[in-house]
Amino acid sequence: MQPFTYTRPTTAPDAVSAFASAGADARYIAGGTTLYDLMKLNIEQPRHLVDITAIAGLDKIETDGDRLRFEALAPMNAVAANDVIIRDYPVLAEALSKAASQQLRNMARVGGNLLQRTRCMYFRNGADGVYPCNKREPGSGCAALRGLDRGQAVFGTSDACTAVSPGDFPVALVAMDAQLEILGPSGSRTLPIGDLYRLPGDTPHLEFTLAPGEMITAIVVPKTPAGRGSTYHKIRDRESYAFALASAAVALEMDGDQVSRAHIALGGVATKPWRAPEAEQKLAGQRLTPEVALDAGRAAFSGASPGKHNGFKVELGARTVADALLIAAERSRS
Amino acid sequence: MSTAPFPDRARIDAFDKVRGATEYAADIQFPGLLYAMTVTARIAKGTMTELSTDAAMRVPGVVRVLTPDDFPPPPPTGGEDGPPPPPPTLEKTIAYRGQPVAVVVAETLEAAIAGAEAVRPSFADEQFSSRIDSAGAESESTEDWTAGDAAAAMAGAAVTIEATYESPTQHHNPIELLVTTAVWADGRLTIHECSQGVNVTKGSVAGALHLDPALIDVKSAYIGGGFGQKGLAQRQTALVAHAAMLTGRPVKLVLPRGQIFHVATYRPNSRHRIQLGADATGKMVAARYHAEHEQSRTGFFSPAEYHESPIRMYGIENYLGTAANIRIDRQAPGYMRAPHPQASCFAFESAVDELAYKLDRDPVAFRIENDTKVDPKTGHPLSSRFLNECLTEGARRFGWSRRSAAPGSMTASDGTQIGWGVAAGCYPSMMPPAIATLRIGANGSTRFATSGHEMGQGIRTAIAAVLLDGLDINTDKLDIVIGDTTAAPQHMTAGSWGTAGAVPVAAKAVERMRAAVSELLAGRTVAGNLHRQLASVRRPYIEIEVSQVGAGQNNDALAQLREGGFVVAGPEFPEFTTMSYIAHFVEVHVEPHTRRIRMPRVVSIADCGRVISPRTAASQVRGGVVWAFSAALREATEIDRRYGGYLNNDLADYVVAVNADIGEIEVGFVDQPDPLANSMGLKGLGEVAMVGASPAIANAIFHATGKRMRELPIRIEHLL
Repeated sequence: MQPFTYTRPTTAPDAVSAFASAGADARYIAGGTTLYDLMKLNIEQPRHLVDITAIAGLDKIETDGDRLRFEALAPMNAVAANDVIIRDYPVLAEALSKAASQQLRNMARVGGNLLQRTRCMYFRNGADGVYPCNKREPGSGCAALRGLDRGQAVFGTSDACTAVSPGDFPVALVAMDAQLEILGPSGSRTLPIGDLYRLPGDTPHLEFTLAPGEMITAIVVPKTPAGRGSTYHKIRDRESYAFALASAAVALEMDGDQVSRAHIALGGVATKPWRAPEAEQKLAGQRLTPEVALDAGRAAFSGASPGKHNGFKVELGARTVADALLIAAERSRS
Repeated sequence: MSTAPFPDRARIDAFDKVRGATEYAADIQFPGLLYAMTVTARIAKGTMTELSTDAAMRVPGVVRVLTPDDFPPPPPTGGEDGPPPPPPTLEKTIAYRGQPVAVVVAETLEAAIAGAEAVRPSFADEQFSSRIDSAGAESESTEDWTAGDAAAAMAGAAVTIEATYESPTQHHNPIELLVTTAVWADGRLTIHECSQGVNVTKGSVAGALHLDPALIDVKSAYIGGGFGQKGLAQRQTALVAHAAMLTGRPVKLVLPRGQIFHVATYRPNSRHRIQLGADATGKMVAARYHAEHEQSRTGFFSPAEYHESPIRMYGIENYLGTAANIRIDRQAPGYMRAPHPQASCFAFESAVDELAYKLDRDPVAFRIENDTKVDPKTGHPLSSRFLNECLTEGARRFGWSRRSAAPGSMTASDGTQIGWGVAAGCYPSMMPPAIATLRIGANGSTRFATSGHEMGQGIRTAIAAVLLDGLDINTDKLDIVIGDTTAAPQHMTAGSWGTAGAVPVAAKAVERMRAAVSELLAGRTVAGNLHRQLASVRRPYIEIEVSQVGAGQNNDALAQLREGGFVVAGPEFPEFTTMSYIAHFVEVHVEPHTRRIRMPRVVSIADCGRVISPRTAASQVRGGVVWAFSAALREATEIDRRYGGYLNNDLADYVVAVNADIGEIEVGFVDQPDPLANSMGLKGLGEVAMVGASPAIANAIFHATGKRMRELPIRIEHLL
């Protein structure tokens, strides 16, 4: 781990200024649950850290009005434990509470969580140069392509990278059409969350569309009656503290037994949080039976391109979507 | 021998542990302490051609960088019968990826890490074999385990099955990392280490550094999980000791988990081809079993011992067990809880289940009917065997009689498939010699010192149970000193023999102390407990020393113990064989669509002879079942054959079971003393607890789904 400078401004504009004056190789840091980990592995090597956790009033959780708004510094656990979120948007609460561990969720903030980097084992290992990784060292190659790819993505891959986008909460937010409030050197802007993430293409080291010095200050989720009929269904190798093999964020607006609108996004299977419009369209106007749910799951995975050891994710993912749809439909009735 | 059940008693160190007051090896501090960090090889095989330490020495706080040039040549390896040679110190020849090539010593941990990152080794690499089926892997047969004539009996069998089973590479992951602190002062070397064999540590450091063992003391008061990883000489110990001697200051090394994956011993990937034959009445008459596992180029962890449990599970009179090492370019595998039978009883007890189905027999009744009172390997009687009692009691508690026999026939209303499985296990019960001193003071104190290591299994609690059962002494000033070469001659604690080593000698000390007090009081009646009695007769203390050996051992064993040797009696004693037994009953639920496997309940009944410490014994069994679940359904070390080394070398990616995975585990004991094993009638428990639980899970999955899982770990994709 290389030495770095550390500043702790108390306002968001000061943080942006501090980042700008730090020059290259600066990083914002909040909970630190990803960045410190990657710094100790020598994968992230910032020279300047701008700690934003002393910024006052950037951790509010707002549920009044026609939208939910989570400020960037709200801890994951605080949002997951919010009564309104639990009751009206279980997809959001579950995506948070099924992530990481209680201790990590106490530290991690929702803003930073959107920027978590991949858990690809080849990416995380071998800062000593053993395993090539285009994400870690552009142009060095990808060891996962012909390697142990059980955990790798089946959507959005390229010849340069198959690493899975690891998050749960971003998947739920993509399903719910969230918007991000962003502050940067050239002022503030909003961004649909789906536009935050880049596909790996030839440049897998570029993961986000944030400009240098920009930070996420809040997450805004439009309120929808689909929230009550929602779930985040996560299938993993153990029942806690594990990343998804396949997950589905699902929210349904129902008209009696018929689906009037479905929100579906996939996790654990793609290089970015993956919306599944084919499945959403297939469901519109349908009566939701187990067979229809499974058809929708299969439609969601119709474009998948698995590797050597991760072919099971296609069938598992389809079934995960199907189960999630039935859970969501059940909730929409209660 | 008294046979009254021992009462339930809390762990005597529980309060300290939950308060964080227990001092583990990494907690011990010294003035002037230096911190070490190792530099490792990033090639899988070859030679280190150059090692530049200049940049490391420029890191502020770095005191010294140790390289292969700082170490004496490795000692000659011992003969076939001797202990394994100490691990090499630092060498230029690279045998596996992750091998330490340099040690940086610094004023702070951060400086040591920065220094280690600044060391620049260069390597010339060679072709290597990283997996059991890689080109260049060399098969080497070991000795056979035989009884009767398996070929003839198999030819005459009415029904046979044959199948191959596989267990993956799995790594130890106790929470405590490998830790060594060494202090060189006044011509003595003192090592504080998480060790299950302080005598082994002492001998191996003496051998590696060409020191007189009499100058070395080793202390290991508490270990945060042993499980066999910490029984033999550890890779880092001599490096740290040498660093302390070269710098003249105490040096501490806590190996990072990623490095531990690459240098410590592990459970090797193993394959088991088994053929079983039964006669027309359903009696198993023949077994042919070939086991092979991955092995380093020079390692000694024997594949022949895969047979030690299967050959004694049932009365199969004709058994041919063959085995082979497959030598590749990785670090040596070694002992990991239930080291051989975890894999071999997974295979064997799965095969028994397959044979029972083929014979259309209930798997519990089938096992009961194949009972034995004789060790087929030696022809000697088993000193005690209550496996049928374990099976019968387990079946009763589990409700086995309500089981619908056909696979896939127990399905819940939501489509969840329910499976009930059974499997059994056995494990050798052994016993080392021991020497103990017991001192009771008029000031209220009691000090008991003997051989043993507290790995969390509760050996101090078991010793205390005997001392407090037989002596009226204060409980709050009872000091049980173990894992300390300065306190009593020490023997490695492993193989479930810790209690057999420490408890009978404690009982003997109790008897001797009672006699000594009686002699002192000479018929007078003196009020109060022993401390008050001593005070009343103005005797500051009484100290006695006792020793014990195992059946068939004599004073030579005590002499070997004093020299730090390895001198375990059993399980093949001169006139009998002693094994511990267990039966596990498991319920699994397999989700209808996403096929997650859950284990809502387990019943495990063990025959470990007389139970000395009911609470820690039950904990041992629960821990064994949890790990067997983890070994069956979770754990596998990922090795990319193109690179060697281990990819998932942390607790996030090496998936061990979590609390949310584990259902209810009901534990019971037969609690019948073994009349021959030792004076207390106890048998080992820690390993047998785990044996058979993994196949019980796999057998339950077969019962739930009709799919026979012959390769571990069993994962979602195998049942989709």
